[in-house]
Amino acid sequence: MEDSVNFGPSGMTVSVGDHVCAFYRTSAGRDEILVPYLQAGLERGDKCIAVLDQADPAEVRSQLRDGIDQEPADENDQLAILCSKDSYLRDGQFSKPAMLDFWNVAVGDSMRESKYQFARSVGEMTWALRQLPGVEDLVEYEAELNTFLPQYPQVIVCLYDLDQFDGRVVVDLLRTHPKILLCGTLLDNPYYLEPHEFLASRAPAPA
Amino acid sequence: MTAVEAAADLELRGQLSRLNALLVLAMLMTESSDEQQIIRLGASAAPSFAACRLVGVFTHDGDTTVWTPGDDEIAAPPAILDLPTDGGAVEIPGSTWAWAYSLGGISTSIGHMVVAASHEIDRDGHFLLRVLAQQIGTAIRNSRLHQFERTAAAELASVNAQLESTVQALAQRIEIHDRLTLAAVSGEGMEGIANAVHEVTGLPVIIEDRFGNLRAWAGPGDPPNFSKDPPARREQLLRRLLRESQSTWESGRVMRAASPRPDSVGVIALIDPDRTARNEDLAALEYGATILSMELARLRTVADTEVRVRRDLVEDLLAGTGGTAAVQRGEAFQHDLKLPHRVVVFEGRGRTRDDDQFFTAVRRAARDFGLGSLLVARSGTVVLLTDRDVVWEEVQTTVIRELAGGTCRIGVGGLTNGPDDFPTSHREAVLSLNLLNSRTGDRNVVAFEDLGVYRLLASTEDSREIEKFVEQWLGPLLEYDARRHSELVLTLYRYLECGGHYNETAEALLIHRSTLKYRLQRIRDVSKLSIGDADVNFNLQLACRAWSTLKALRSPGRP
Repeated sequence: MEDSVNFGPSGMTVSVGDHVCAFYRTSAGRDEILVPYLQAGLERGDKCIAVLDQADPAEVRSQLRDGIDQEPADENDQLAILCSKDSYLRDGQFSKPAMLDFWNVAVGDSMRESKYQFARSVGEMTWALRQLPGVEDLVEYEAELNTFLPQYPQVIVCLYDLDQFDGRVVVDLLRTHPKILLCGTLLDNPYYLEPHEFLASRAPAPA
Repeated sequence: MTAVEAAADLELRGQLSRLNALLVLAMLMTESSDEQQIIRLGASAAPSFAACRLVGVFTHDGDTTVWTPGDDEIAAPPAILDLPTDGGAVEIPGSTWAWAYSLGGISTSIGHMVVAASHEIDRDGHFLLRVLAQQIGTAIRNSRLHQFERTAAAELASVNAQLESTVQALAQRIEIHDRLTLAAVSGEGMEGIANAVHEVTGLPVIIEDRFGNLRAWAGPGDPPNFSKDPPARREQLLRRLLRESQSTWESGRVMRAASPRPDSVGVIALIDPDRTARNEDLAALEYGATILSMELARLRTVADTEVRVRRDLVEDLLAGTGGTAAVQRGEAFQHDLKLPHRVVVFEGRGRTRDDDQFFTAVRRAARDFGLGSLLVARSGTVVLLTDRDVVWEEVQTTVIRELAGGTCRIGVGGLTNGPDDFPTSHREAVLSLNLLNSRTGDRNVVAFEDLGVYRLLASTEDSREIEKFVEQWLGPLLEYDARRHSELVLTLYRYLECGGHYNETAEALLIHRSTLKYRLQRIRDVSKLSIGDADVNFNLQLACRAWSTLKALRSPGRP
């Protein structure tokens, strides 16, 4: 198993086990990350899981077909495109354990019997902007996702719209992701915090 | 690692993590070009770096100030305008501690970020918030600079677009100019000019003379049948076109006048009833009018030159200085001067004293009778050189008709045997005209060949014998007339020419019959001659005709 894989956007590579926070502005900026990332996975034969919130799944599938030379033999199995209400917001709320379990099942199943050697997942995180129970645990969830990633040969990309998330959330995201993608550049974040570190270092709420 | 070391390590990693986040946040803000977006993203992150809440952000740009409140929607503190540029403590209702951090450096602040807390934040928090505020300021300045550059670039693009438009218009005008210049130099004349303007504009083009007559047409099919304006209305239109010196719309046409000199006027027009002509089309029409002016000037110069050369040739022939070269010059006008010619002198006037009018009338009559165009105006007469014989009375009638009234008398010289004979023929024509003027009767045309004895008398080389003969027979009467200012010789001359009839003679002299009788008695007394004697009568008549011939030969009209 190689240590790094083609990330997709701009021909970058990521290390196995990376948890990437990708910032974008506008839906076109989102698709410039999302589509090449999945295309690279489809071409490599990776299991691809995309959880979309505002992006149109049919449109994403169409763009994926346009961008790859040869359609995968079993696209329906290799590529799973899900909606946020079927994953992050299942049962109408966000549950950190349930979502971590979701990834565990989805990625774990694809690795069973060596069907796929590698999994790349992506989540469009705008669902967290809704005032629903549990969404306040978003950053803690992101921090704990770092402990899930080493369990499988995989990469997870979290897509955040800079025009919609405020600075406080952005700073917390910057502190919980070991890799940051912004302005077409993939940055290492050696000072990201493990879940327990992050929770311990959070500044107390102002009076 | 002990618990204390672990706590210190965690504290250090937390700070480094915040610093790193601050660095990346600065990058994200700098990437944005929207000032409010920068403030929203940066200022809302303040609680992530210290235990505080955002009160708001105050920015200024020139005279414009903006307060962007935080989530609590607190109004701007009144002291915000009086703060030092590097910030400081402020009072916020409901908060025990509040601080304004400068957006930017000490001397270049563009506003403040105000935060509040229940108690003063620690030193590390101060540091992080100060850096955050500086980064917000830097991103805003960067955004404003980009905005300025975008505006400048947009203005530059606009200027470039205008310049490009100007260059295109100029290129079109150069193309128009080149096409019309080509028409001018190619010698295609008015047809070429009309075609060129039609090609450039796509509109039918018509060129007219000053009277509204069609001179050239370019367009699909035949030219439309325009009814000519009445002369007065046409002149009024031309005056307006010349005065306004610009394209003028009139009766479904846009017109320009071309007039290189007052006596040379033409009109070029686009047929455009729907007024679809663009500025470039009007420019083409303007260039077309300029080229038409050049063409009119050229045509007029050619005509003037031809007239001058023709006049010089006629003058040289009449003066007898033409020589053999005159024959060659005549060939240029398709005249074979070796053929027998006559010199014909016209004298007269129209209803008004206008020499040009009389000259034009004679020229048109000469053209109508195919008499050629070798004619000049000379000493109140018009002299014509022609190799054709016609019924000159008909020519005279035509001239009178051209003049619409007035008078015209014609003296016709004898035939020449070559260019050297033109002075003789001219002298004969003048003599004939003078004799015609001195004689009574209805005749207005006299040919030298028809002068009879006058021709014989005029042809005598030595006039002294004739003068002696006149003196012998008329001497006392001439001396009497000179002394008394009387007209005895003229009376005798008319009496003899009228065959001795009293009434005709009195009528010719415009005197009463009794006056005539008195004068005849004086003639008999002074001359002491018997007029009734046949021999005396013959010699007196011959002497009178000789006197008349000599007078004609000496008259001012003689060449």
